[in-house]
Amino acid sequence: MRAMVLVAGAVFRESVRDRVPYSMVMFAILLMAASYAISQLTAGQDMKIIKDLGLASMSVFGMLIAVFLGIGLVSKEVERKSIFALLAKPVTRTQFVLGKYLGLVATLVINLAVMTLAFYAVLAFMDLTAGPEKLVWPAPALDPRLLIAILLIIAEVAVVTAVALFFSTFSSPLLSALLTLGLWTAGHFGSDLRNFGTVVDSAPMIAIARVLYYVLPNLAPFDVKAEVVHGFPVAARHVAYTLAYGGLYAGVLLTAAVAIFRRRDFK
Amino acid sequence: MAAPVVLVAVLLAGAVGVQVVRDRGWSPYQPPNPLLWVQSGPLLQRLVLGFDSLAADIYWMRAVVYYGGKRRATGPQLSYDALYPLLDLVTSLDPHFRVAYRFGSVFLTEAYPAGAGRPDLAIQLLQRGIARDHGRWEYFYDIGFVYYWWLRDYQKAAEWFLKGAEQPGAAEWLKPLAATTLATGGHRETSRQMWTQLLNSDMTFIRSQAELRLAQLDAMDTIAAVTPVLQRFIDREQRIPRSWQELAAAERLARVPADPTGVPFVFDPKLGFIDVSPKSRLWPLPIESRAHVTPQLP
Amino acid sequence: MPAAIETQELTKDFLVGFWRPRPYRALDGLTLSIEAGEVFGFLGPNGAGKSTTLKLLLQLIYPTNGTARILGKPAGEVEVRRRIGYLPENPYFYDDLTAEEVLSYFASLFGLRGADVARRVSTVLDDVGIAAERRMRLRGFSKGMLQRVGLAQAILNEPDVLFLDEPMSGLDPIGRRQVRDLILSLRQRGCTVFFSSHILPDAEALCSRVAIVVQGRLVANGAVSEIAEFQLTGWELVAADVNESLRSSIAGRARKVTSIGAGRFVIDLPPEVGPDRVLAELAAGGAHIVSLNPHRETLEDYFIRQVSAAAPRQTGID
Repeated sequence: MRAMVLVAGAVFRESVRDRVPYSMVMFAILLMAASYAISQLTAGQDMKIIKDLGLASMSVFGMLIAVFLGIGLVSKEVERKSIFALLAKPVTRTQFVLGKYLGLVATLVINLAVMTLAFYAVLAFMDLTAGPEKLVWPAPALDPRLLIAILLIIAEVAVVTAVALFFSTFSSPLLSALLTLGLWTAGHFGSDLRNFGTVVDSAPMIAIARVLYYVLPNLAPFDVKAEVVHGFPVAARHVAYTLAYGGLYAGVLLTAAVAIFRRRDFK
Repeated sequence: MAAPVVLVAVLLAGAVGVQVVRDRGWSPYQPPNPLLWVQSGPLLQRLVLGFDSLAADIYWMRAVVYYGGKRRATGPQLSYDALYPLLDLVTSLDPHFRVAYRFGSVFLTEAYPAGAGRPDLAIQLLQRGIARDHGRWEYFYDIGFVYYWWLRDYQKAAEWFLKGAEQPGAAEWLKPLAATTLATGGHRETSRQMWTQLLNSDMTFIRSQAELRLAQLDAMDTIAAVTPVLQRFIDREQRIPRSWQELAAAERLARVPADPTGVPFVFDPKLGFIDVSPKSRLWPLPIESRAHVTPQLP
Repeated sequence: MPAAIETQELTKDFLVGFWRPRPYRALDGLTLSIEAGEVFGFLGPNGAGKSTTLKLLLQLIYPTNGTARILGKPAGEVEVRRRIGYLPENPYFYDDLTAEEVLSYFASLFGLRGADVARRVSTVLDDVGIAAERRMRLRGFSKGMLQRVGLAQAILNEPDVLFLDEPMSGLDPIGRRQVRDLILSLRQRGCTVFFSSHILPDAEALCSRVAIVVQGRLVANGAVSEIAEFQLTGWELVAADVNESLRSSIAGRARKVTSIGAGRFVIDLPPEVGPDRVLAELAAGGAHIVSLNPHRETLEDYFIRQVSAAAPRQTGID
């Protein structure tokens, strides 16, 4: 357990030195700030647009950090051979993989927390400077429900990290990145797969779509941005089930990643 | 090796289970107009960075899925609002997307709730096709068709058939069709003539539409043939028969007549009205030829 | 007491080729036993299977066949890893961390905590001579400095068994000297050292025993002096102020006498002659001895002979 935490700590420390997450966080914050300018161009819907853009940048940049750091987590150590010295220490390969995962998830949580603070700062500024248009806002500016959307974004990003880590245990970083981005995209078409039966008549096609729906990571349920922005309720049940699903699915990926990684030869 | 496989299986089963439970109480949020962040064709054209044709394909698929999904959906909020904007984007991105104009106009004209019930938008779409994708007589024919079948404006229909006939490579039956339309618009025989031509279409969807319409016309022929028998009963008994069975027994019909798909016609004992069964795939029949099949009530 | 390192018929095949992978035998039935406290040189030309053997002992790769035990336990067990150190070939660590951070991380993995970590890290940084660069990021380190970081992390836990893969590579003569001293001091402490090298003098100066591996097969195993092939091939004597009579008297016994000007000569003596009498004669004749060096067959000569004697190498295995 301690070894795992130490590996996680090293990941965190290394990522603090890495420029990639910084630039992503900065970019996200810039985008949120820019949404203020964009909102000046739209009548009445400014708050909605700021929230849309803020949540979308968190989701996209969180995902990009997860992918670009996630694919390098294991493969970089293998490629540069730093793993040789590490695995000669009293660390099991399982602890190594899980530690890497936890380290990156911790990094992401911190990054998203920073983005969240910046997001609320922009919203607070809007709230203070807003005039009568406040009356048509579908939800208050500093709506705590935004945190539900952010929580699910973090959960989604944790699943994406597991996907990236899984691929990086056996393929090159570039291929891992492509596969992860592919699965991420597919994951957001989950509902289309689920509703395939309403569009197509062919029973085998519907069956295939069903299987894909359940086997591929289904990321659409993690996306409650629109509901939250419009001030519609998000059922606690839904959040709980989706978090449980994220945990189980990440578990599937991590188990597979560990199983593959334990059998590998490091030439 | 066995242990991880078992663990993966157990966890995956758990994930599937959670999804099944969750999905009972949840469906993805559907905003009123879910599909179109970008509604402007020229803007989208710039955004897709030169992949116009591919983007058109993707939007076309979305349009088809949207239409298909709406058509099968039930509920009070059913609306086809995004259909025309989608088709507009598709044809802006790729002005030569023939299928999008022709199928698109069918999606738009089809009566609500099976379609948008918007023949006006269908005509608008096809006119854009004429403007952007020159020299295709099919678009003229399709506009004429919308006037004929959905708007029952035979004058206009004939005009468009004639315009189509003037296009290069137009089918030679367009001119006679225009003439027939003018002379006997609204008759089943004219309709049958038009749909029969469409049976030769190279597009499966259009062909299956034509087959359906021809079957409906056959059904109407049958109804028209049975209506005099019903009329005879009503004239004689001064009342509507209580059921098919009563009518059949009194008029010595061999059996309850069925439509071309084999589903028996239904008989409304209150209104004295013969129609295809709502269970039949031919239901509902177009209203155009009702006059020929409605008995005089006592 | 079990052997410090023990392998039985250790064999490793790698699959080579992309479209139709075929096995390639990198190591073939290696059986070795190394006692505690030995400094063991594992010698062979590049590509002979030295690194493969080390990685098998560390369980970075898994054997196709055979077993490896360290300190009486199967190689790769966490308990074993607590008590061993490993310097990989051309070690590489984390670019963005400093030497101190990397070593602290590894020290914590060995179970050290708090002040113990800092203390131990300082000690090993001093031991390998990079205490001054402790706060520098490894990105800026030269190959030799990385080699030292590698050594430092290998001795962090005061290991009972130390595995060094080409420890001298990338080091300047001073560095080589330091590593040699380090190994000798570890031996004093009773640490078993297993190191691979393709340079014979390294082994001669340090090892109680060497094994030679060529093309994946063990071809010799014993004390350096026992391995017949390394025996003397002659002596090279350089002398100054050699007068003509002295020169002609010695020329009869030498294989070759070469003048290097101003009365200085290089005298090449065959091994059976022996330098003692020639030296006495030269001294008596008023000459000065500049240097005397024994000539041995080099490891490279030996490898070349072994390789050419071996049957043509088979690329695949039946």
